[in-house]
Amino acid sequence: MKQLVFPGDKVADDARRIPGCYVEDGKTYASNVSLQSDDHIVPLKGYYVPKTGDDIIGIVEEERFSGYNLELNSPYGASLSARDTRDELKLRDAIYAKILAVNEVKEAVLVEPQKLAQGSMIAIDSVKVPRIIGRNGSMLDTLSKFTGSRITVGKNGVVHVEGGNAELAIKAVEKICRESHTSGLTERITKMLEEQTRKMSGQGEQHG
Amino acid sequence: MVEKADLFKNGKRLDGRGPKDLRPLKITAGVLDRAQGSCLIEWGRNKVLAAVYGPHEVLPKHLADPTKAIINARYVMAPFSGQEEHGRSGPNRRSIEISKVAKHVFENAVLVDQFPKTMIDVHMEVLQSDGGTRVAGITAGAVALADAGIPLRDMPVGISCGKIGEHMVVDLDKYEDNLGDSDMPFVILPRTGEILLSQMDGMLSREDISQAFDMIFEGAQKVRNMQIEALKTSYERMATHAAEGGQNQ
Amino acid sequence: MILEQIKQGFIRELAEKAQREDGRGLLDYRTISVQKGFAPNAEGSALAQIGKSKVLSGIKFDVLAPFADRPTEGVVMVNAEFSPVAHPEFRAGPPGENSIELARVVDRGIRSAKVVNVDNMLVSEGKVQGIFIDLYILDHDGNLIDTAALAAMAALKDAKVPKFEDGKIVRGSNAGSLPLKDIVVSTSFEKIGKTIMVDATDAEEIASSGRLSLSTANDSLICSSQKSGSAGFSKDEYMQMVEWAMQKRKDLLAKI
Repeated sequence: MKQLVFPGDKVADDARRIPGCYVEDGKTYASNVSLQSDDHIVPLKGYYVPKTGDDIIGIVEEERFSGYNLELNSPYGASLSARDTRDELKLRDAIYAKILAVNEVKEAVLVEPQKLAQGSMIAIDSVKVPRIIGRNGSMLDTLSKFTGSRITVGKNGVVHVEGGNAELAIKAVEKICRESHTSGLTERITKMLEEQTRKMSGQGEQHG
Repeated sequence: MVEKADLFKNGKRLDGRGPKDLRPLKITAGVLDRAQGSCLIEWGRNKVLAAVYGPHEVLPKHLADPTKAIINARYVMAPFSGQEEHGRSGPNRRSIEISKVAKHVFENAVLVDQFPKTMIDVHMEVLQSDGGTRVAGITAGAVALADAGIPLRDMPVGISCGKIGEHMVVDLDKYEDNLGDSDMPFVILPRTGEILLSQMDGMLSREDISQAFDMIFEGAQKVRNMQIEALKTSYERMATHAAEGGQNQ
Repeated sequence: MILEQIKQGFIRELAEKAQREDGRGLLDYRTISVQKGFAPNAEGSALAQIGKSKVLSGIKFDVLAPFADRPTEGVVMVNAEFSPVAHPEFRAGPPGENSIELARVVDRGIRSAKVVNVDNMLVSEGKVQGIFIDLYILDHDGNLIDTAALAAMAALKDAKVPKFEDGKIVRGSNAGSLPLKDIVVSTSFEKIGKTIMVDATDAEEIASSGRLSLSTANDSLICSSQKSGSAGFSKDEYMQMVEWAMQKRKDLLAKI
């Protein structure tokens, strides 16, 4: 049974670390409007704040003498030193990297940066990323299969699509975001992808 | 011409309400598209639109607080909002003071520690005014913040209280505000009962103030229920739209 | 500023033990003094000091157009200047939110208690008496609201109404003292952690997370209330401060 919880609602009588919740005086309360089902609380909306260990996609928004400033689809940006990347980067290039550390003012240190090939990108609410990926990556597999695109998803909500039917991939991602809190989403997405690819190729029904 | 004697007759106020009755109240969340969060509140004849942007970078940079988000609260009345002649555009001394006390409410309610070095804008635009616009604006601002997904300790609720002759009443309209004996806007945090905004003019005894508190806590609960309804409805609207296939896509 | 800020930790520790930097009790005011007539060119004036904070209030009468809906009512206007002489963080320029808040809070106290009777202040056709109360903050060491309220009230007590002839003011003339219906005083409380104290210094204000300013009139009525800062107050704390404000009234009245 899914139900909405609202800021200030008590969620637990002890202190727990739950997304969309906070602890005060040893008890846990909701801080965001969220959907609660059984043991699981998912905020309806959120903002990405850099966290150690996250794999993110940053977009070059400024080139400086010593490196680059990256847009992270977050109130916080990150910088990449020229020394740390082999590639020469330009405005709007996408970098897939891991956050090694974050300081108190949420400045992130990035490692293992990889420049992503030219492609299309959209930025979504990072809260929806788990839905785009799906259980064990199943949704992402479905998207790749039907579109033939190489899709990379950053924890910060930047989605990069290379090759294949990029337009369809992005449409599907947007639809998942819009309908992320509904049930039957996987079936609807699969159906949409089937219909769209059928239309395009003009062939008979695809199976599986 | 409304006179003070008209305000309270035979247990009823000018508009027929009893002392504890609120004016008709309608709260709608998610009314704007560009803003991260928004809310329209229609309280009696008041119409106040709240919109939230952020958290975003602070400019100029030196104003940023490395330990928490800064709240930029802005309360402003549209020049056509009152019943009298065209007002001046933009903030005046009264709206600057109201912006300040509103800011203090949100500084408490928003979990500002989660977003150091950023700024969160809460705009409260009074489109039509009829007494109680600041509590309406802050009540709407709270919903807009929740709608925006900005983490809150709780949603603050605003409500006014006042004295007309011998009677303490809740939720003053314009006539009661102007002609009555005292006007006290309050904002409370329902979860803890903390008072986050308290202003007052008029002359009240300790007993009056104590009675006022009882009335506002009771009235605040009703307003809180409307805030929740607004967010629920907004969610259901989104879910229904999604289930219908999100037509144009 | 930085020095005040690094003091915060120390002040909070003291507050937890119900102690203060200068050894005062939580409900003790610093030394209060009021000098009426400090600026004799003004029709009324007073310099008020609480501890090191100093506010000079000057009152000028004038002839103005009334408000449209109150054609025979006099106009009282309170304005505050946070002069750069008072504190390194005060900048010259248009009033900021603190200055505006202070002016409006002092105004509300005086207005609510109807200290000045503004009815029947018609001077000539379409013109009424105007009373300008200016609050000049000269030295800031906390509790500017109470200091300014004291200065304003004392200046009103000091004020001599000028003569009005042919719809014009006769500067320098004296038609008698300004009749006052009541004396209003303000008591401001700051909350540091869970401790509430009266008459905070600048350093204590920086350490504080919330303030409540209450004005009293008619000996046991509250005529203005303003909560500032982000900390919340419980209903019990509020009612307790109402009690304390009424107790403090006597001490403040004696100074005016």
